[in-house]
Amino acid sequence: MSRPPRMGLGHAAERAGIDRRRFLELASGAAGALVLAACDSQGPKSAQGLLKFAERKNESLERVLLRHSSMDVARASAHTAGSHFPSYFVSNTVPRWDESVRGPWKLVVDGMVRTPLSLSLADLAALPRIGYRLDHFCVEGWTAVATRTGVRLAELARLAGALPGAQYVDFSSFDSDYHESWDIDSAMHPQTLVVYAQDGHYLNAAWGAPARIYSPVKLGYKNTKYLTRITFMPQRNGGYWSDRGYEWYGGV
Amino acid sequence: MKRHHAVVRITHWVNVVALTIMVASGLRIFNAYPAFARKGETFCCYPFAGRPIPAKLTFGGWLAGARNWHFAMMWVLVVNGLVYLGFIYLHGEWRDLVPRRGVVRDSIEMVRFYLTIRRDHPRQGKHNALQRMTYFAFPILGAAAVVTGLAIWKPVELAPLTNLLGGYVWARYWHFWAMLLLVIFSFVHIFMVFTVDPYSIPAIITGNYREDLSPEERNARPFVHLLKRSK
Repeated sequence: MSRPPRMGLGHAAERAGIDRRRFLELASGAAGALVLAACDSQGPKSAQGLLKFAERKNESLERVLLRHSSMDVARASAHTAGSHFPSYFVSNTVPRWDESVRGPWKLVVDGMVRTPLSLSLADLAALPRIGYRLDHFCVEGWTAVATRTGVRLAELARLAGALPGAQYVDFSSFDSDYHESWDIDSAMHPQTLVVYAQDGHYLNAAWGAPARIYSPVKLGYKNTKYLTRITFMPQRNGGYWSDRGYEWYGGV
Repeated sequence: MKRHHAVVRITHWVNVVALTIMVASGLRIFNAYPAFARKGETFCCYPFAGRPIPAKLTFGGWLAGARNWHFAMMWVLVVNGLVYLGFIYLHGEWRDLVPRRGVVRDSIEMVRFYLTIRRDHPRQGKHNALQRMTYFAFPILGAAAVVTGLAIWKPVELAPLTNLLGGYVWARYWHFWAMLLLVIFSFVHIFMVFTVDPYSIPAIITGNYREDLSPEERNARPFVHLLKRSK
């Protein structure tokens, strides 16, 4: 394999017959272009491996920091967001479960469980109900307070008989192909809920009706709305935003 | 005798890279929500809410890219800072940086000199009183940035810390201020290097410094007496 001979820039400039001043102009221009190319860019491609490495190390630390005893308590002085609570979905229009097309909505709990479940909204509402006034931490940096009411995911795991090998849980939706998978420890946190009511009312379509997952120990994008299926798995299954470059763990 | 030990020189330049990337990626993260108010509330103390930072000043390309850089580079910043602080503690350089008795009086004298109220450069050691205060403040601001950063990274798992800072919204605001002060101090530092003591640039690269060209010897103010004083 033949390569062009390496030469210093100064050498090349001499060869090309450029005088020193012109060379300095060119060089400073190139340096400026490099700086500009670096700004508002994702940085050098070669760094992506290092960033992935850092993400894995951060995940290990975040897993150590996760405590089932550390509970989120929204500040008493914080206003409930109410109608200011942002609405978010990835489909083009607000996803709505059309019973005439898809039949009655059911939440399926399956995967590594002894007894898969298929629960209607009424079934969910009949299970032990728990409500918390919680902070919502969006990856974008905003927060909002809402009262979330539903069933602890740990309760559903107990009812379905999740097997010890289930180290991960995937939450799927009918919002296009949106899903996110979690580590089991975050999923079993006492504040990780299958939420069907917000601020005392059943969820509306803008906020993820009929049910969504919510936990303050995960950033907003990890909390799948328009929930259809909870699958216990032996390994992680990525996620909508995790596959697009956001960190998979997304812990708070 | 080198003016700066190799450890100080290396950590200085690692810090330049790490801090630049931390600030630029942090501004990109900030641009995803360039405001502080909790949804449904207003925030008292930020008049520029809703106005993003110019993209040219940011790094990371998009929110996820900026976050990945921010959460990787934070370790470089922290480890580098600890190496620096550990070194100057064990090696004694901290004595040149911790404010001495009379630092307020000395600082006032330096300001009077810079304002040409006083004609002769105040006596100083390695650094003048204003430099001492700046270089002493820098690690404190860095630590503030790290602590406030931890508080907004883990507001649930480290809730006691976040609450101590007034909750997530305020912790994010303090994080922004720590960044802002670090940037302001850095720019003042760079300005003073170029306009008062450009001879200190080799000192932070190779370690060599000509004492006969120190600002005190040249009686140098910003832009004044940049060249060697003719006797």
